[in-house]
Amino acid sequence: MNFQAALALGLPLGIGIAAIGSGIGLGLIGQGAMQAIGRQPEATAKIQLAMIIVAALAEALTIYAFVTMFLLSGKIQ
Amino acid sequence: MGLEFLARVRRATFWVAAVAALMTATYATPLQALAVALGSGWSLVNLFLLERLIVALTGEQRGTRAALKPATRTLVGMLLLFAAGAFLLRRLPPAALMVGFFVPYAVLVLKALALLLLPSGLWRRLTRDPRLAALAMALAVAAVWLAFSPLRSRSETGSQPAAATTAAVAEPAAHAAHAAESGPEKFPNVITILHRAFPDAGWAEFLHHWEVIVFALLVALLLGLVARLASRNPKMIPEGLQNLVEALVEGLNDFITGILGQKHAARYVPFLGTLFIYIWAMNLFGLIPFMDSPTSNLNVTVALALTVFLYAQWIGLRGLGIVGYVDHLMGSPRNVTGWALVPLMLPIHVLGELAKPISLSCRLFGNIFGEDMLLVAFVSLGVTTLSFTHLPFGLPLQLPFLLLALLTSTLQALVFTVLSTIYFLLMLPHHDHEPGHEAEESLLEHSPI
Repeated sequence: MNFQAALALGLPLGIGIAAIGSGIGLGLIGQGAMQAIGRQPEATAKIQLAMIIVAALAEALTIYAFVTMFLLSGKIQ
Repeated sequence: MGLEFLARVRRATFWVAAVAALMTATYATPLQALAVALGSGWSLVNLFLLERLIVALTGEQRGTRAALKPATRTLVGMLLLFAAGAFLLRRLPPAALMVGFFVPYAVLVLKALALLLLPSGLWRRLTRDPRLAALAMALAVAAVWLAFSPLRSRSETGSQPAAATTAAVAEPAAHAAHAAESGPEKFPNVITILHRAFPDAGWAEFLHHWEVIVFALLVALLLGLVARLASRNPKMIPEGLQNLVEALVEGLNDFITGILGQKHAARYVPFLGTLFIYIWAMNLFGLIPFMDSPTSNLNVTVALALTVFLYAQWIGLRGLGIVGYVDHLMGSPRNVTGWALVPLMLPIHVLGELAKPISLSCRLFGNIFGEDMLLVAFVSLGVTTLSFTHLPFGLPLQLPFLLLALLTSTLQALVFTVLSTIYFLLMLPHHDHEPGHEAEESLLEHSPI
């Protein structure tokens, strides 16, 4: 197996693994926020703000994998 | 006028020389950039010494023993300076050095010209009407363009034969490199279509080369136009466009004030709100057919993130002072444990600061670029599913993802703004906490991202 085949196999796999992690994290964040809003509907705006920030942090990890994939995919001819 | 004018010249020269050196480092070699910087530095010192000599010779204490001492010292300094200049001329590329030498004099001449021009009647007549001023500005730009065009075309024709021979030799390799560099294909936009229609026209090549910047400027222009239209004749009871824009601005103001607190908000809302509106407009711009999001290019997002980064550091330096800023970076040690942890905390904080612009820019770029790629993938899927019928259209499989793109465009602009706001908040002085903001702070205080 040359390195191009390795890249072609590994890059989608890497992005998938990163997406699994981010997905779990986003699910937990969403769950926590929904529960908090359910308990305290009057604090919705504050909870949503914090939720969006943390969701952005969790989601960024997949985006890094995506950017890496984009940078390396040029090497596959 | 007088010495104060010289001080202004020095300040302007410093910035012009810094920009010129950076540009030389980018477009030429670092050695030439060093030569430009050192040359203008030499010239500045020369100017400063001349100023001191003249002050010593013509000042109030002229002819006395007290004035003799600074004068002799200045003369010795000038001799040393000329020795240094000879050394520089021998060691560095002389052409770049000469450019550097002339920077202060160019600034001096331009400033003197401006001083002559500004009070004149011609200038007042020109600037009274904005349309006339814009016309004069456009004429001046066109004149400069025309004046430089023979130079440019000569350099192009001069380099063409050499380029043609090398291209003939290295055609396959260059093609492969180009394919690797451009990556996957995006939707064609106006500029790529123009570039394909006029492959050898200079202006199409120019537009194609600066495509991202052209689109970013176009978005800025559109936003300026909308703002101008909305605020042209403001009414007490707003309607139409004014209503919409006011609602947006007010919402942003409330939102950012809620995070930063009443005290600091007024200062930073204009920057952060502009950031949101600009990024939002740029994200949505790619959804218009034949247009492209500037934010789907890493260069634009890095520029935006660097602006936020530098501004945040500046806020920290101004608000805390240099000592307070370093103290902040060391994790504010107040006891023995704190000081013992400094070797650990300092690198963590510095790396954390440096990671912020990287994560900001990569997040925005990745989201918008990924959104574009998703649309391209689904459009081509829709076309291939109907390709057996040989019809000139495909299934509109991308429609749900267009809605998703609307959502992510807004969300990413919001996330960029909120994170920038919080970076600012972390840099603001800490002692005047208002209740309710500790949550966001403790959330991000030690997060590496």
